[in-house]
Amino acid sequence: MIWRAFASEWVKMRRRRLWYGSYGAITGVIVLTTIVTIAGALHHANARGDLTLAQLGHASGLSQGLTQSGVLLGAVSFSIAAFQFGGEFAHGTLRNLLVRQPRRTALMVGKCLAVLTFLIGAVVAATMVAICAAFVMAHLRGISTDAWTSGVGMTDLGTLLGDLTISACGFAIIGMIAGVLLRSSVIAIAAGLAVLLPVETILTDAIPGTARWLPAQLLEAIAQGGSSAAPFTAALATVSAYLVGAVLIALFVFVRQDVTA
Amino acid sequence: MSAAALATEPVVQALERGSNSYAVATLGLTKRFGKRLAVDGLDLRIPAGSITGFVGPNGAGKTTTIRMLLGLIRPSAGRGTVLGHPLGNARAYLGRVGALIEGPTFYPALSGRENLMVLAHLGGISGKRVDVVLDRVGLGARGLDPFRTYSLGMRQRLGIGAALLPNPELLVLDEPTNGLDPYGIAEIRAMLRSFADDGMTVFVSSHLLAEIQQICEHLVVIEAGRLIFQGGVEELLAARAPELVVRTESCEDARRLLRLMTRIGRSAQMTGDDEGRTLEIAADCNWAGDLNRLAMADGITLVHLAERRATLEEAFFEITRNCGEKTPGKGEPAGAAADSDRSSGARGAGAARP
Repeated sequence: MIWRAFASEWVKMRRRRLWYGSYGAITGVIVLTTIVTIAGALHHANARGDLTLAQLGHASGLSQGLTQSGVLLGAVSFSIAAFQFGGEFAHGTLRNLLVRQPRRTALMVGKCLAVLTFLIGAVVAATMVAICAAFVMAHLRGISTDAWTSGVGMTDLGTLLGDLTISACGFAIIGMIAGVLLRSSVIAIAAGLAVLLPVETILTDAIPGTARWLPAQLLEAIAQGGSSAAPFTAALATVSAYLVGAVLIALFVFVRQDVTA
Repeated sequence: MSAAALATEPVVQALERGSNSYAVATLGLTKRFGKRLAVDGLDLRIPAGSITGFVGPNGAGKTTTIRMLLGLIRPSAGRGTVLGHPLGNARAYLGRVGALIEGPTFYPALSGRENLMVLAHLGGISGKRVDVVLDRVGLGARGLDPFRTYSLGMRQRLGIGAALLPNPELLVLDEPTNGLDPYGIAEIRAMLRSFADDGMTVFVSSHLLAEIQQICEHLVVIEAGRLIFQGGVEELLAARAPELVVRTESCEDARRLLRLMTRIGRSAQMTGDDEGRTLEIAADCNWAGDLNRLAMADGITLVHLAERRATLEEAFFEITRNCGEKTPGKGEPAGAAADSDRSSGARGAGAARP
């Protein structure tokens, strides 16, 4: 049953405009942060500890630009997922789906898996394009890329890709939950982005220590492989607990609610 | 419990044991949204293999009832069966049910075929069936075009196509002719007849009473969430006395004929048409010869004499107007219908709730 829902969702997600829009946005975000990071690297270290060209020449240099894309990538992932779920309520298509597949849990899980595979594909493809852009930028700025292609460099890149994917999937799951609970893609995207970006940022700045507890801050930390405020393992554990709880609530609501749209 | 509910109780029990006289039967089906009672103790019976019309004013609870039958909304009270399975177990019967609810809603960017493929995958239905269905509803040539480019008639046909995907035993269509022009309505009408010929049970809600009269043999009428009639369409029409429509040669003749009818105790009235030359007389066609002879004997010349049967629209207005004023057992279809239904089996006689 989950497979049917998965295959059904992929019929929708194969449409060209969704690919251009989603893959374009995600690729744009990752490539842009990569280019800006390399273009802005300093020749000499400064007091603030900003990134230098020498640092970019290390094995982890290739990953430096990609790590900065976590929040923007999350915002795009959140929006895509909220659109896919909230849109079913807003357009009234959910009733058609539920008549053909009354097992609501299977429907939601199948759709969720389809959206996540779509996003994982987008992140991987975007990362490939960003790597190409990084090599071009390195050439332009005279950065040696020998260390990037070493074993350590590749491992570093693989780890970063995994972290980015986990972070994007976390944002996407929050987007799906928002779509189900708010029953509208527009409201889910607007409210969700408002809470995840400015509200969380203000809270983090205003109340020390909150970065360890706020979901978007934790997902950003995961994308960066952990931060001083939220180490990777702690961030992953906390976010996982949040997501499991939220998914269970969303499933409960989705299974029980009357479909009047 | 009302007389109709008492009559329905054994029907629901029989259906739960596997009887197949009714495709759908409910007992006291109720839905409350907060303080608002949308459906109020509905005892519904849809004979298997029939085309049943579902009629009621806007907001009467038709769509809510349909959604409950399809497992989209949980009833607040009551129970029932669809294709022999309890309402609470929608997954047991939805594989044999096709539905178009509140108009066709599809993904605008996807083609008609892709939209059906979304549903086909979900229901475990083969892609070949999608092509068969597209041909059946006359969209074979436009199946690859985006849904957003479809006309209203094509959208309705795609909606019916989606409902046909599982090759259903029960087809539930909510306002399938909404917004269609006369050609589109005729197409849908022909389509529904062909489905019934294939042995499907068709349950169709509509505001277009003339359409319902033309295609349905069985009728369910609700108002304010309550059942006010269910039974054969002819049965409902027969409950309203037929009339003879008479046009005389002159106004003076019409006035004299009216006095004559009053004298012999026949109910008659001027219609106001044809400069006061037309009368409606409460009588069926068997009395037309007598009327003609009486008029001739009185020197009245009739230029037109015809029987006029009540339309469904008139019957509908009459029962919806009266439903709040009368109670079952006072000559309305209610009591008699409930009694007759116990013995009439699948055909289902008129039944009404107070």
